[in-house]
Amino acid sequence: MSIVAKTSRPSRIRPTRGYRVFQAVNGVVLTGVVVVTLLPFVNIIARSFSSEGPIRAGEVSLWPKGFNLTTYKRVLTDSLFWTNYRNTVIYTVVATAIAMVLTTCYAYVLSKKHLKGRTALIGIAVFTMFFNGGLIPNYVLVNALGMRNTIWAIVVPNAISVFNLLVMKAFFESLPQELEEAAAVDGMNTYRTFLWIVLPLSKAVLATMVLFYSVSFWNSWFSAFLYMDKQNLFPVTVYLRNMIVSATTGSDVSSSSDFALQVGANIRAVTVVLTALPIMLVYPFIQRYFVSGVMLGAVKG
Amino acid sequence: MHQLTRRQLLAAAGGAATFILVGCGDDGDDSGGQDLDSKRVGAMENYGVGDTFKATEELTFSIAILDNAAYPYKADWQFFQELTKRTNVKFDPTVIPGSDYNQKRSVMIAAGNAPWIIPKTYHPSEEEYIAGGAILPVSDYVHLMPHFQDKVKKWNLQPDIDSQLKQADGKYYLLPGLHEDAWLDYSLAIRTDILSQLNLQVPTTWDELTNVLRAMKPLAGPYPFSDRWSKQPEGPGANALLAHMSDAYDTRAGWDWQPYHWDSNAGKFVFPGATDNYRKILEYLNALVNEKLMDPESFTQEDDLARQKFATGKSFVISCNAQTVVNELRKDLTERNPKATVVKIPRLMGPMGATKRQSRLENGVMISKKALDSKNFVAMMQFVDWLWYSDEGQMLAKWGVEGQTYTGSVEDDTFKLAPDVDWAGLNPSGTKQLNVDYGFFNGVFAYGGSTKFLNTQFTEEEKKFQEVMAQRQLRPAEPAHPLTPEEREQTTLWATALKDHVNQQSLRFILGQRPLSEWDAYVQELKGKNMDQLMEVHNKAYERFKKEHG
Repeated sequence: MSIVAKTSRPSRIRPTRGYRVFQAVNGVVLTGVVVVTLLPFVNIIARSFSSEGPIRAGEVSLWPKGFNLTTYKRVLTDSLFWTNYRNTVIYTVVATAIAMVLTTCYAYVLSKKHLKGRTALIGIAVFTMFFNGGLIPNYVLVNALGMRNTIWAIVVPNAISVFNLLVMKAFFESLPQELEEAAAVDGMNTYRTFLWIVLPLSKAVLATMVLFYSVSFWNSWFSAFLYMDKQNLFPVTVYLRNMIVSATTGSDVSSSSDFALQVGANIRAVTVVLTALPIMLVYPFIQRYFVSGVMLGAVKG
Repeated sequence: MHQLTRRQLLAAAGGAATFILVGCGDDGDDSGGQDLDSKRVGAMENYGVGDTFKATEELTFSIAILDNAAYPYKADWQFFQELTKRTNVKFDPTVIPGSDYNQKRSVMIAAGNAPWIIPKTYHPSEEEYIAGGAILPVSDYVHLMPHFQDKVKKWNLQPDIDSQLKQADGKYYLLPGLHEDAWLDYSLAIRTDILSQLNLQVPTTWDELTNVLRAMKPLAGPYPFSDRWSKQPEGPGANALLAHMSDAYDTRAGWDWQPYHWDSNAGKFVFPGATDNYRKILEYLNALVNEKLMDPESFTQEDDLARQKFATGKSFVISCNAQTVVNELRKDLTERNPKATVVKIPRLMGPMGATKRQSRLENGVMISKKALDSKNFVAMMQFVDWLWYSDEGQMLAKWGVEGQTYTGSVEDDTFKLAPDVDWAGLNPSGTKQLNVDYGFFNGVFAYGGSTKFLNTQFTEEEKKFQEVMAQRQLRPAEPAHPLTPEEREQTTLWATALKDHVNQQSLRFILGQRPLSEWDAYVQELKGKNMDQLMEVHNKAYERFKKEHG
């Protein structure tokens, strides 16, 4: 075997011994890192399919013990769960769309050094990073705008994340100015330049921002909890949060059946599987933009 | 000089803002019991004890409903339908996930957007809203509530209400749930098969427990007593046990901790963490730990670990309540060892003998001050009175409709759930859940009541425990001593620092890291943390209230 391999690739530069050792160590260490990173997830998935006894006794590690689907059934057969899941998807899509439009426009404007009042515009945005009106004034405001119990209470108040805005601004600043000058010479106005030149070149940062926004909207629960007074308007995060608290505190005397005990034992694990996995599946598709997107604009020049 | 702290300023500003937002509609309705004639629309003319409330026209009241995921809220529950049928009242609910009920309640009240009826409020959380002026001083309007007044009088609950709920202005702002007798749940679970193997009786006092543990020691691995409930505040660990002991020793500790305690001999409030009785508790536990009868990890370990030690036969004694003894301890044990038996024993007695201490008041209902502006105000108060305080309303909220979800009556002990209905395993063959499917036995509406009424929800085993506990004499409630908002602010700061010190040092005393001979030094340390000043404020408040309202 080894002779064949040697003779078939005579021209290859043989790696030095040191390099091969480095590669081997590298492989082992990185495999270790991957395993350590994945273990909790595997454990969570195993717990979500296990029955109460082994979970309580701490016997579940990487494979389900006493295979059990009670908690999944409890959650998945509840029509409210699906209603709320649908809400989560709608809120996430609409909120991300609004956030992307607003953030992109704002960031592009801020990236133009010649803009008058640019410092003030940046100041307004940055100010909100450090100060805000607080819970109750926000509630009063949303209430006065008539947005309570509507989707707008969730998608509008959080539409611009200042952190994302600044990352995007830095990205736009790093684009070569000559491109836009050339477009202007060819007769494009600001809007067309933005739509046809700048945006197509910004896929990396746009993909990253979509990911940032959608993950944060997907996971958010507080504004929905605050501004929604009806269950059928809640996102799934509020639904599951309530279930977790009620199942794991067991404060209610009626929650004592085997069923409730089983749910209490692995509701957390089931929750993670049901809510975190879908959004995690988005990562591989966006990942290739991801690193370059966040890093872009980090170093200028 | 009294200097304003930043927190006080903030609180004042917040309070003022809330008042502006909320108080717009109010025209100084502070003189309780003033003209209510214009607010009687829909109310019953002659509404008294034993009457069913029925609004004279269809009414809708806004209400906050805590949504418990164990029985998720459904608008079409039979409970709501039956309620509307009997009373002509519909709810306009704000459904709040139980996980964060208090937070949303606070925001809604502060924003002037609170529903009229705000149930599921645990004293003293109503106090934070008083300064804002958004909550009705209900004590001014209980004359509209005959069933409430009747039960308070019949069960002699006025002293309890005075001492626990009354504020410095002599009013109270929360309609509490009322119990005829104190209901104690937490106690110790003990392996009775080990007791009979050793020819021992169930212990009745703390000293007997020591002897039982000594006898059990050779069979245990290695500690016969390993306790739980160390992760939930307020105490230093093993907080159910400390609460249990502090009742027997007449002080405050663990879950029963509060920074003041009425010393009936001295006739004043004392700091519980510095009392002789508190010291006796520490001495007792320290002796158990010293003799290796009690697991030192009892005070720090996770509940699950304590459960595992009990389940695997390493320990034989652990704190429990009616639910955990059945669902956790017995279930865990019999899976591994079918011969093992475990019971929840009557609470152990200490220097206070066969007495008990427990509040007879429950969480209750706040009424939003906005409701007072409504022409339906009187009808609403009558409705609240009927639903939460009349026998009929309580029966409906708890067990539902006779002939459908239950049969018989509570009074002649013939009460039975319908064969197809289950609640908490009382009727294991039942296919429908009383709370999930019908909306009855909902924590928002069903609590309190007479002892007989309460007994309907217990298993035979728990009834026996309750019978023993019912024979213990209830010690009188401590006297009223409401603090002013400024006093409350100041005492909270002191009390927090003191509690931290008490907890830290208690643990060190129990585990033997600090010898009990240093007790006097410890008391000096408490004095250095304003213990005496704290007690002075409480005692002054007591004297003041006695003079003004006593």
